[in-house]
Amino acid sequence: MGVLLEVENLTTEFVTRGGVVRAADGVSWDVGEGETVALVGESGCGKSVSALSIMRLVAPPAGRIVGGRVLFKGRDLLALSDEAMRQIRGREIAMIFQEPMTSLNPVLSIGRQLTEGLEIHLGITPGEARQRAGELLAMVGISDSERRLGQYPHQFSGGMRQRMMIAMALACNPSLILADEPTTALDVTIQAQILELMKDLSRRLGVAMLIITHNLGVVARYADRVNVMYAGRIVERGTARELYANPRHPYTLGLLRSVPRLDEPRRARLDPIEGQPPDLTRLGAGCAFAPRCAFQVERCAVERPRLVPIGGGGHVSACWEAANLDRAVARSGAAT
Amino acid sequence: MNDDAPLLEVRNLVKHFHVGGGLFGGRAGVVRAVDDVSFSIRRGETLGLVGESGCGKTTTGRCILQLERPTSGQIVFEGRDLTTLGEDELRPVRRKMQVIFQDPYSSLNPRMTVGQIIAEPLAVHGIVPDPAQRAGRVRELLGHVGLLSQHARRYPHQLSGGQRQRVGIARALAVEPKLIICDEPVSALDVSIQAQIINLLEDLQAQFGLTYLFVAHDLSVVRHISDRVAVMYLGKIVEITDRKSLYDAPLHPYTKALLSAVPIPDPALEAQRERVVLGGEVPSALNPPTGCVFHPRCPIAVDRCRGEVPELREIRPGHRAACILA
Repeated sequence: MGVLLEVENLTTEFVTRGGVVRAADGVSWDVGEGETVALVGESGCGKSVSALSIMRLVAPPAGRIVGGRVLFKGRDLLALSDEAMRQIRGREIAMIFQEPMTSLNPVLSIGRQLTEGLEIHLGITPGEARQRAGELLAMVGISDSERRLGQYPHQFSGGMRQRMMIAMALACNPSLILADEPTTALDVTIQAQILELMKDLSRRLGVAMLIITHNLGVVARYADRVNVMYAGRIVERGTARELYANPRHPYTLGLLRSVPRLDEPRRARLDPIEGQPPDLTRLGAGCAFAPRCAFQVERCAVERPRLVPIGGGGHVSACWEAANLDRAVARSGAAT
Repeated sequence: MNDDAPLLEVRNLVKHFHVGGGLFGGRAGVVRAVDDVSFSIRRGETLGLVGESGCGKTTTGRCILQLERPTSGQIVFEGRDLTTLGEDELRPVRRKMQVIFQDPYSSLNPRMTVGQIIAEPLAVHGIVPDPAQRAGRVRELLGHVGLLSQHARRYPHQLSGGQRQRVGIARALAVEPKLIICDEPVSALDVSIQAQIINLLEDLQAQFGLTYLFVAHDLSVVRHISDRVAVMYLGKIVEITDRKSLYDAPLHPYTKALLSAVPIPDPALEAQRERVVLGGEVPSALNPPTGCVFHPRCPIAVDRCRGEVPELREIRPGHRAACILA
């Protein structure tokens, strides 16, 4: 499997009233052809900004990409002309957002929204585009597509709108889909439908996916590899199986432990991560997670840990105590 | 009053909304948001009310608070039927019932400091008339919810989501309520903060003997916090029982599907797990299906389900479900 997208040292800054915020701070990750990769973290950790940076959709003047490379099929997207980038956006890399209602045009019919991209990117006739639009709706499980094409977004339910977004994303046969919290706004049973649909389509069509989410549960079933982000940096990465079975960053461990799980006996008390996420304008020299970390040592306050390999298989963690974490986990596991 | 009597009893609650037919036309119709719902909550208990958007769980909460006047049915709180009371008679009762909302940002006045927000109900209800004493009480309440006294001078936008929800909880606690309706209190918060707020709600319940109606869509959170759980679908309760029975031995096919849709953060387990993915979507409450409202999506429906409205009946002791096949 070849590498499709390679993000190297991506740094994106925003100018805010409180000062300059590094929303993505030297972030590196990659997605292989046909692979599903997750970017997990809480609000403000920089996961959405990473995706927007790849699409060069960070809005100036407040936001700008100040460093790094985004290699897509070997070409650096950050070095492309605006015109060349437009050829990539929507055609080679498509995006799905959390709230489909705000990303669909309320006054254009479903059919028009689907055909517009097809006509622009593929240069096909309106008739051909209409036919392809019908096929796309059928592909994402929307029946009665002829009638549906004439309808407007408000006539669709939340789940249908997200199916429609997926259809739009697939329209030009992209090789990569960036899905930013694709199911967060949906009900539990619809969430399951949409995720199964995305997994099925990505397998059948060989599309690679980057799923951005705050929910570790959602990606357990669907991601091949997982990147965990905190305060603008990746703190841990591994295959999904390795990361969930053997978390080696206290933040990942904290996320996994803080949620009640239906497959485990009910605990008397939940185990939250204490404290609040940091103010990104006031990050110190040390590890950004240190103030909330149960495993911190003196070094954590003064020196920022880099991602280093843990075991094998591409598992990396940015924690001075990573090597001791499994013993600490075993101890506290025995205590509970 | 008898202490064994439930604090709250909802009897045959019905709430219909009339839609359409107005200035902008549209077909006039009736949304049966809550359609004959009955349950009770004992003192000090937490009843979880789960279901998907539009199932009527929030409307049920609003009817209990008398923010919506029910179309029919009774809301019996401490032995009195609130639906028969006028606004003046309701005011003292409202002190005893509070609500915590999903999005603390939109439910806190952005122009008021945290101190003013928490002090307001104390002044309005005349609980602490003296301003100096009120400031003291505000500090005490901030302490109860894990905030510092200097937070009183901040504005909501200067706080994080978790801190804002703590302010919402402090405001609810200010009037020393008996019942708190928690309407999706953690679903807008980050995962690491959710657990903090849930622990806080549990601590406060133990400390002040609070009774909770916990409205949520997250079944894992509901299992953690609830003593009993009611599952709603399209305006009706389809299953209600104690926590253990619901999660260990669910009877209604909708409950089973909901449980199976909850993702488990373990790829190895997920790979082996059989998932019941429900087809279709929740039908419109404007035009609910005949018979059992769940039958169009039900994996085990038979012909009878189309014609017969299933009664919420006791299938095992203390375990009721509305399914003819249960």
